[in-house]
Amino acid sequence: MITLAVISLSVGKYPLSLEKLLAGDEMQRRVFWMLRFSRTIVGVIGGFALGASGFVYQTVFRNPLASPDIIGVSSGASAGAAAGILFLSGTPAVTLSAFLGALIAVILALALSSLDKSGKNSSIVLAGIAVHSLAQTALMALKLTADPERELASIEYWIMGSLNGISGDSVGANLSLCIVCLTVLFLLHRQAVLLSADEGEARMLGVSVGKMRLAVLLTATLTVSAVVSLTGLISFVGLLAPHAARMITKSNRIGTMFLSGCLGGALLCGADILARSAAQTELPVSIFTSLLGAPFLIFLIARRKKTL
Amino acid sequence: MNFLTVRNLSAGYGKRTILSNVSFSMEKGHILGVLGANGCGKTTLIKCLCGILPHTGECMLLGERLDSLSSRQIAKKCSYIPQRSGIGIEISVLDVVLMGYNPRLRLLEHPDREMKASAMEMLALVGLEGRENDDYLSLSEGQKQLCILARTLVSDADLLLLDEPESALDFRFRYKALAILKQWVGRENKGAVVALHDGALALNYCDELLLLSNGSVLGTVCPKTDPIEKTEEMLSRIYGSITVRKCFDKHGREHLIIIKEGEI
Repeated sequence: MITLAVISLSVGKYPLSLEKLLAGDEMQRRVFWMLRFSRTIVGVIGGFALGASGFVYQTVFRNPLASPDIIGVSSGASAGAAAGILFLSGTPAVTLSAFLGALIAVILALALSSLDKSGKNSSIVLAGIAVHSLAQTALMALKLTADPERELASIEYWIMGSLNGISGDSVGANLSLCIVCLTVLFLLHRQAVLLSADEGEARMLGVSVGKMRLAVLLTATLTVSAVVSLTGLISFVGLLAPHAARMITKSNRIGTMFLSGCLGGALLCGADILARSAAQTELPVSIFTSLLGAPFLIFLIARRKKTL
Repeated sequence: MNFLTVRNLSAGYGKRTILSNVSFSMEKGHILGVLGANGCGKTTLIKCLCGILPHTGECMLLGERLDSLSSRQIAKKCSYIPQRSGIGIEISVLDVVLMGYNPRLRLLEHPDREMKASAMEMLALVGLEGRENDDYLSLSEGQKQLCILARTLVSDADLLLLDEPESALDFRFRYKALAILKQWVGRENKGAVVALHDGALALNYCDELLLLSNGSVLGTVCPKTDPIEKTEEMLSRIYGSITVRKCFDKHGREHLIIIKEGEI
């Protein structure tokens, strides 16, 4: 991850060199701090956050396919971003609007699931699916009203995800939120593992299942929302990183969660390097997270079969 | 004061009543076996005792109402072994046993070295020595059950609630698990309520048997003190025609055996 971060700092349209940078070349410094550095830091921390919170989702839901999408975060963020693009102006406003969209989706999903008094995991998943469809409908309605030339294109581009054009102001706020939430998630790791037992079993192990699950999921979701509202949708990182980490360590200890974060960071950073250097124009980063991620996952599965 | 007193306990799923007006009590240091046919409410009773299922009536443990406690407080007093644990993620056997300490740990606290050492001792006691780093999911169903038994024992609760702990165990480990339980309950002066299918196990390891039929209490039997005829008569109400006999093993120890007579 660190190697990729260093490469990420040095790759881009505007050539940078260490000597010029150290010599105090004003243009070089501005490009470095304004563009490369914020982009790299979002890649590393954002990827880490997606990987680690993906791990939490999969553990709490006991579902290897669980990801932030399962409770409607991504679609909420997309609808929020679309509204932002249509009715507001400027990148920070769109980021904020996407963040609010994600948050509303999650609060709605959790509120809907609390209507089911049985308090099962499945009720959260069902509520998530309902919210996901609602958000998709809202997104579609917003797209219909969008101007096809400019607005529709930017909505589509936002949904495809990119680390391009990330502005300094919102980066600080979102990444701080991300780091705070990640700290909480790591502190609550033992509780997340306890939540992976059956409802009654976890209760008899002294866990206040309802409250703890709400706390863990809300924190994980805040983390993801903070990243996604900056970058747009990024596919595969939250799903792949935890699997890869578990296949390597064969456990669900806190170290595995950390490794899952590191792999997420590496994947997003690597994909971003390719996204800006593979073609003349910037490509959406999701293309490369999937392109890099899918073969890696297949490689890990193949390796596991051999060792069995 | 009784160790555990249950009065007029009723419970059900939706509109269907499973248990109606169940009352019984047990003393400290005893194992109470719950016997009954499939669907008679054994599992429901165990789940009500530990507060997982909503119910009416009251359960008093050492003079304290269990239903007035938070899940954390209940977990400190009662420990529960489900028929099958729901753990479905890769986790080491030792980590599963360490989960048993959770009620005594603060939210952000982690098990210390001493806890790990006693968890290892408990794993050795149930016969899983050397498996502590293995993946829990790679164990056989019986070994999983033994691992959960170790988790229950480290929790140091006053009352152990076991739901058919023998169902996944082979012949040898059934007896081993019950022997460990009996030794533990006697030594620590605690108590256990165990739902059982195996009548022979119940007769030889339980101090008292609670017989359930269609959600109501048929009666209680003390296999060690009640005359064999009474035991046989009571058990035949749930098992049909059976014979209970006393016999001795080659070391001269007395055992009760239960024989089911042919039935078509």
